[in-house]
Amino acid sequence: MSAAQSVAPPELFPSASPHGPRRIWSIGGGKGGIGKSLLAASLGAQLARMGKRVVLVDADLGGANLHTCLGLSGPPLTLGDFICRRVEKIEDVAVETGRPGLRLISGASDFLSAANINYAQKVRVLNRIKTLDVDVVLMDLGAGTAYNIIDFFLASDVSLLVVVPEPTSIENGYRFIKSALYRRLRRAAVGEDVRRIVDCALDAKNPSGIRTPLDLLTAVEREDPAAADVLRRELRAYQPRFIVNQVRGEADAAIGHQLVTACARHLGIRATYAGFVRYDDAVWRAVRQRRLFLDDREGARPAEDVQKIAAGLLQGENLSFPWS
Amino acid sequence: MGILPGSHYEVLGLASSATSEEVEEAYRRCSALYAEGALATYSLLEPEELELTRTRVDAAYRVLRDPERRREYDARTTEAEAEPAEAAEEPPPRPDPRVLPEPVTGPDLRRVREGRGVGLKEIALASKIGIRFLEYIEADRHADLPAAVYLRGFLQEYARAVGLDPPRTAASYLSRLAKR
Repeated sequence: MSAAQSVAPPELFPSASPHGPRRIWSIGGGKGGIGKSLLAASLGAQLARMGKRVVLVDADLGGANLHTCLGLSGPPLTLGDFICRRVEKIEDVAVETGRPGLRLISGASDFLSAANINYAQKVRVLNRIKTLDVDVVLMDLGAGTAYNIIDFFLASDVSLLVVVPEPTSIENGYRFIKSALYRRLRRAAVGEDVRRIVDCALDAKNPSGIRTPLDLLTAVEREDPAAADVLRRELRAYQPRFIVNQVRGEADAAIGHQLVTACARHLGIRATYAGFVRYDDAVWRAVRQRRLFLDDREGARPAEDVQKIAAGLLQGENLSFPWS
Repeated sequence: MGILPGSHYEVLGLASSATSEEVEEAYRRCSALYAEGALATYSLLEPEELELTRTRVDAAYRVLRDPERRREYDARTTEAEAEPAEAAEEPPPRPDPRVLPEPVTGPDLRRVREGRGVGLKEIALASKIGIRFLEYIEADRHADLPAAVYLRGFLQEYARAVGLDPPRTAASYLSRLAKR
């Protein structure tokens, strides 16, 4: 038995087949307050309008408020009840939202330790989510780069990364994208020495000067070329998709393309650009009224953007750009 | 990390058949991507890497926008690509990497480097190794050096840059640490 086999966890996230139906989507971003939950609610509602059967999962454990974005009160049963085994079936905590085709599994705000669920609980949640009889499960992830957040992101068929055109959001976006990748690479790494190098890369001030996934591959290549091949395959398969939110002009919209290019050239990550959502005061007004902007005529422009993103994702399309 | 490798076409993200309009468009996009304070790159690249990248982008644009210079460049690169094929049967002799007497010390390495006229910054940029670690290696500041698993790679990169035999240089330097 190899070192990797002896310490590898059980199949954590049977990662979705790249050829199978794209069922589980997640929305992460690394930073709070950039509109992840609102985007998740809007995308879910839009997909339901397009005739898809959707379950929204508020996976922002400990900070859940997806129900508020949908204009609902906190449901009596939440993911916390499932995690604590107060209910056995995950379907039992999925509530109707009043929108045909759209149900919600609310977050675990009533469960204080929910933000730190253990490994077995995480696997159980993910395994049950995969059994839901729907077209799309859409998970809204919390802010930050905690393993519980990253693991949900990596377990998805479509991993969406939301940023807004601001330095702090972009910095956190890059941090999130690299943290998730290193987590994935560590799981795939064969041998203690290689895992040690991956761990070293996680430290931004590491002494070996590893700053990017490409540096990491170079360092692993020096130690073990075969192990580097394994990591290279993982790197190729890792394809997060950017959504730029709160876009105020063409230059902001172009940032999505720039992020994709920068990821490819300087990190070796093959990200794509799922689309952008224009900034509109109507969205803010709708949030204040606990309404979804998709329902307001005033919010037509951002609603149109969400529609384009949903349609593109269903068809496996990205924003085209003749440049890489 | 930041210095773009490859041809002028690769630097601008173009195919070699790109039209002049495509060259202009690619330059406009590259300029925006690597502009001072550009959101997508300011936190990804060090300021000096950004500067070097901008220099490469400008150089690529100056050649590719000018039909005559582009023709010359294409002819030169085509010729360069053809050369290895002709020489494939008999590769040019390469000088053997030098081997220093054992045990190799930091000052030994520094003398070789200075003799070859190679700067520490040059090695740091090419190898991605922090310059202070290269200084620690040369100063034999063993307590400040990283674990052997990383140090071996550093030493090999250093040796390669100054024309020494990488595995033997690293092993010899590390053998002194092991004896302490």
